[in-house]
Amino acid sequence: MSRQWRSLDELVDSRSFRELFAAEFPSLTTAADWKRRDILKCMGAAIALAGLDGCERQPDERAFPYVRQAAGETLGEARFYATALEFDGVAQPVIGKTRAGRPIKLEGNPDHPASGGKTDAFTQAALLDLYDPERSQAVLHKGRIADWQAYDAMAHELARRMDASGGKGFRLLTGATRSPTQLRLIGAMLKRWPAARWHAWSAVPTASTAPDLSRAHAIVSFDHDLLGPGPLQTWNARGWAARRSAYHTGEGEALLFVAEPTPSLTGVTASHRLIAGTARLPVLLAALLDGTVAGLSPREKEWVALASRSLVRNPGRGLVTVGAHHPPALQQLARRLNDQLGNAADGALPAGPVEADPIEPLLAAMHAGEVKALMVLDTNPVYALPEFAEAIERVPLRIHAGLHADETAFRCHWHAPLAHDLESWGDARAADGSVCLIQPLVRPWLDVRSKAAQLATLAGRSSSDHALVRETWGSAWAAGANFEEQWQETLRGGFRPASSEGVTPASAQAVSASAKAGAETPPRSNDELTVLVRADPTVWDGRFSDNPWLQELPKPLTKIVWGNAIHISPALAEEEGLENGDLVELSVAGRSVSGPIWIVPGQERRTILVHLGYGRHHAGTVSENLGFNAALLGPAGSSHSDATLRKVGGRQLVASTQSHFAMAPDEFVRFVPSPNTPLRAEPVRANMYPPLPMTEPSWGMAIDLDLCIGCNACVVACVAENNIATVGKEQVAKGREMHWLRVDRYYEGPPDDARQVFQPVPCMHCENAPCEMGCPVNAAVHSPDGLNLQVYNRCIGTRTCAAYCPYKVRRFNWFDWTKEDAPELQAARNPEVTVRGRGVMEKCTYCIQRLQNARIDGEVDEQPDWATEVQTACQQACPTQAIVFGDVSDPKSPVSRRKANGRDYSLLADANTRPRTTHSARIAREDEA
Amino acid sequence: MSTLLPGEQVYRAPTAFPARLAWWLLFAPSFLLTILLVIAIAMVFTRGTGIWGNNIPVAWGFPISNYIWWLGIGHAGTLISAMLLLLNQGWRNSLNRFAEAMTLFAVTCGALYPIFHLGRPWRFYWMAPYPNVMDTQPQFKSPLTWDFWAVLTYLIVSTLFWYIGTIPDLAAARDKATKRRWQVFFGLLALGWRGAGRHWARWRQAYWITAGIAVPLVVSVHSEIAMLFAAGPVPGWNSTIFPPYFVLGAAFSGFAVVSMIAVVLRHMLRLEQLVTAHHLSMLGCLTLACGMMTAFGYVAEAFTALYAGGRELETLYDRLTGPYAWSFWGAVILNFVPLQLLWLERIRRAPVPLFLIGLSVAVGMWMERYMLLVSSLSRDWLESSAGLFHATFWDWALYAGLIGFFLTAFLLFVRFLPVISVFEVRERAVEGTLHG
Repeated sequence: MSRQWRSLDELVDSRSFRELFAAEFPSLTTAADWKRRDILKCMGAAIALAGLDGCERQPDERAFPYVRQAAGETLGEARFYATALEFDGVAQPVIGKTRAGRPIKLEGNPDHPASGGKTDAFTQAALLDLYDPERSQAVLHKGRIADWQAYDAMAHELARRMDASGGKGFRLLTGATRSPTQLRLIGAMLKRWPAARWHAWSAVPTASTAPDLSRAHAIVSFDHDLLGPGPLQTWNARGWAARRSAYHTGEGEALLFVAEPTPSLTGVTASHRLIAGTARLPVLLAALLDGTVAGLSPREKEWVALASRSLVRNPGRGLVTVGAHHPPALQQLARRLNDQLGNAADGALPAGPVEADPIEPLLAAMHAGEVKALMVLDTNPVYALPEFAEAIERVPLRIHAGLHADETAFRCHWHAPLAHDLESWGDARAADGSVCLIQPLVRPWLDVRSKAAQLATLAGRSSSDHALVRETWGSAWAAGANFEEQWQETLRGGFRPASSEGVTPASAQAVSASAKAGAETPPRSNDELTVLVRADPTVWDGRFSDNPWLQELPKPLTKIVWGNAIHISPALAEEEGLENGDLVELSVAGRSVSGPIWIVPGQERRTILVHLGYGRHHAGTVSENLGFNAALLGPAGSSHSDATLRKVGGRQLVASTQSHFAMAPDEFVRFVPSPNTPLRAEPVRANMYPPLPMTEPSWGMAIDLDLCIGCNACVVACVAENNIATVGKEQVAKGREMHWLRVDRYYEGPPDDARQVFQPVPCMHCENAPCEMGCPVNAAVHSPDGLNLQVYNRCIGTRTCAAYCPYKVRRFNWFDWTKEDAPELQAARNPEVTVRGRGVMEKCTYCIQRLQNARIDGEVDEQPDWATEVQTACQQACPTQAIVFGDVSDPKSPVSRRKANGRDYSLLADANTRPRTTHSARIAREDEA
Repeated sequence: MSTLLPGEQVYRAPTAFPARLAWWLLFAPSFLLTILLVIAIAMVFTRGTGIWGNNIPVAWGFPISNYIWWLGIGHAGTLISAMLLLLNQGWRNSLNRFAEAMTLFAVTCGALYPIFHLGRPWRFYWMAPYPNVMDTQPQFKSPLTWDFWAVLTYLIVSTLFWYIGTIPDLAAARDKATKRRWQVFFGLLALGWRGAGRHWARWRQAYWITAGIAVPLVVSVHSEIAMLFAAGPVPGWNSTIFPPYFVLGAAFSGFAVVSMIAVVLRHMLRLEQLVTAHHLSMLGCLTLACGMMTAFGYVAEAFTALYAGGRELETLYDRLTGPYAWSFWGAVILNFVPLQLLWLERIRRAPVPLFLIGLSVAVGMWMERYMLLVSSLSRDWLESSAGLFHATFWDWALYAGLIGFFLTAFLLFVRFLPVISVFEVRERAVEGTLHG
């Protein structure tokens, strides 16, 4: 190459490239020579195709429904399919609920050991990704719409060339995957083209082990956000909750020690949290390992001593863990400590038959000009790894396949639209090593191909993904047995247990995270500012940034929505005279970003935290103009010392759903010192009106604040179940978010080392509800089974109920929020729940549609105990089972038992509203462990 | 002028208006604001209440605080006309007619607000009990239901009282009119009044009975409006002091506005002989008395909060120092500081100072209503739900538009109807000469 290209435009305009291209792919350059008649034909076909989309979504007739009916479909009844979603190499097993061929809700697969029916927020929101109206729908060639025929021709030509050269110069870059079919196809490709290379990269370093936390009586985490968002959140949260619940009943301990520079969900949940800068972590771990406490501050000494004593007290039942973004040396220290204590090093996620190379050799090869053709499958390195953006310009043929025509697609010659997991055939491995089959909930309505089919296309084959997956398992499953039977059985259940696969966990090998992740430069002095780049808790590495449910989901600790911020400690804010929303420029080694300030209590004094996932250039309209790209400072997981913070003047709107976080002097969240210490009893307060009679069943809810980790799964589950509108940044900033269930976050104590707590607040369904007294038209009324109902048709919108509600859980339709929803988004709605119009009040109904369905089914089937099975959406999603719902008139029901424990209390008891939703106090041991 | 009987110029005003230029100068901007009102209403009806600053937690905003303010202003008219009539305060005769008209227009402005405020305004009649196939009824525990009745009753009674009181003057205007269309116009409105003895007897009976009904209504209407706040379990609202506090505040702001109108009308229509300095002084006294009682309400409310402690005290603290402290201190200063000048008779009798003090009170009472509503709701029980309210352009547009509508209606009244109850003034004058 005589000259270098900086941008695609320059490249496209280059005459020499056109000549080269014509020489390389003669078939393609001539194919573009269209005649007028052909164009007219194409236009006609396009109109006809556009009409086709008006038809209902079709179920894939080869998929097998999960329960209820094996054959045939009863009109109006939901069908359930077991499938899975792969998130950074880890399968999230789900049951997809479809109505008239439309997937409308995802729940965890209750039979799967990695889910138990539970999900995280990302999985709940994946449904909307499927329906995203801005998903990529067509093959793009140099930014113009092309077709699969042209793409296949290109792939064919590429395969021919690679066959000739043995794959020299060909590189495949994928996201993290453990899908057996994808690995098989990649393996076959590497066999065919021995000189080709496969690189796997995920923007966010993820742990390579999924330990069983239910057996860990003492956990010491060094900046490892076990319970935080990520592919293992459901797994870890369930394990932790199982242990914590056992501790509640007096069985063993559930101690969690966390040392971290910035508050995480794990840190907030911890029984003992220590604020420690990144540079202090090796010192602390060393102290824990060999007991040298020299050079530690008194607080650190105390923390190490307690952690050490707890670990020693629980030999073989403890866990020492280090965040995946920390250097291997530190991980090694943790492993040594675990070995010393006899803690089982279990839970390594299985590695595949072929091993991927990390991304660094690819970057080097691209810079060296050795890469002749690059295929990027379902990952977006141009956005999340700025140096990749420079290097990729040196590759002569660049192909991208993804759900969106994103930044990487923009830099590639070819872009192929990818099918969502929910409309694909495929497979993946869950956290426990079991294989989940991915079957489509719906046949793709766009002309897209799944990941397996994309890989096959690359090798010049054009098999369907269905055939590819069957091919994988046709040979793998026990010979002799009837494959067809096994296949159908697995599709019905969704997975094959890990034991039946004979999985032997390979040596723990992390999915290669980005180049510089973990490369820490220790700060030279105490006063240096350290910048941490982390994945965003709601849009992750940017892959969810076009999902409005996740954009409007408040970030657990800051409650910020629709954007990111530069998070600093209260001490630093005071020092620099900064307030929330002040615009600053943050620089590290010549690279800089600017964004608004957000002050985070409990963050290390000189640590600055930024989140990836915003500042997208080539994404949909949802994420347009939101935030800044933190990846410009470094990849996710990296930390950089010697940062500078400069006030640039001016302010920027940061929309947050909560503006006051300090709890004192109130006791919205209560604490008890041990599981058996009851709270002081509340006095009985007089009421003017007679108490409501208790019927059977009478609904109630109990939320255990000691189990809640603030993960937001309940919030998104509620949004998906109840057709809750998203309103956008400006409206949220005005205080008009529509969430029926919110997770309040409070802190207590000094802002520098505050104790932080979460409190989910749905409608309290007060027995003595002020809203019902206030409504002039009887739109807010009480049902005999104890529900506080809101009759939308009767509501005239006086908003008295909202003004009188002490919990402020009511939401008003200030505008017609849903009028302009795209048809795709309308298709995602739950048909059992009314879409609310302008000018009416709405709020949590305890998922009344589920209650009524259960009642009808129970009465039809004459099952007297139907009330024991019904679950609300938030309860069903909650991975820690903090939310329990049921019949409070039955003393044996789980909710009655939860309410009977001494920790149960009514929020705002002094308002005398007698809420049916109660909370259980958090257990905070002030004493030593 | 001295050759005319007292009040003669009042009858002549519609046909030979003395201050055409001034009238037009006032009317033109008022009418423009009325056009703004039409646009603001069209906007809120087509787009939704989201064009205002209301949110959760401040679910009520301008519409409710302005509603209370307007109705409060309206009460002064009824008090001057009806209560002073019942108390035989003859000097009221120079003031009652336009005070009643002011009541009518202010109550209209106020009563429209809760309808605009609704999420679905086209369903406002669901507040009323009427036979319907769904067999639904209003919810009688709700203060809004009482409020609906109270305001409706008040509007009807005020209209009747004003109209009954005007009949003899309408007849006189009919008799003085020279053009046919004015004769027909006033003739229809005068209901065939001939001034017979029997007419006067019946009229007096009807007028006094209506007055007797109207006076307690002032108390009940504003007490019920106070219940909108007091019945809610919201710190800063849930207080028994609210009904009397609201009634007195209403009268206070009303007398202040009557004073302003009296000063302007007297000057514009050259009514110095009818609305004398003595009348201004009496208005000043009323304003001062109600103002001092309202001030006592402030103290009582603060005392309640101090005594109750807890969230009530926090709300008081928020009002004094929080983001809406400007409205609290604005209310205290504008309501009560210039007011103290009214202790001096010299100031009470001087039109310009009286006008300015009235203006200060009208603004101050608006701030008070705003402060009571917004500061309580913006931070009530849970810290997590605290949030601020900021009025938008459309909040102000609707408010300004209603002020324009009020002025337009009032100016039309001034222009075309007798602004002072001339027959009562004359009766008083005749009685005065007889007894004096």
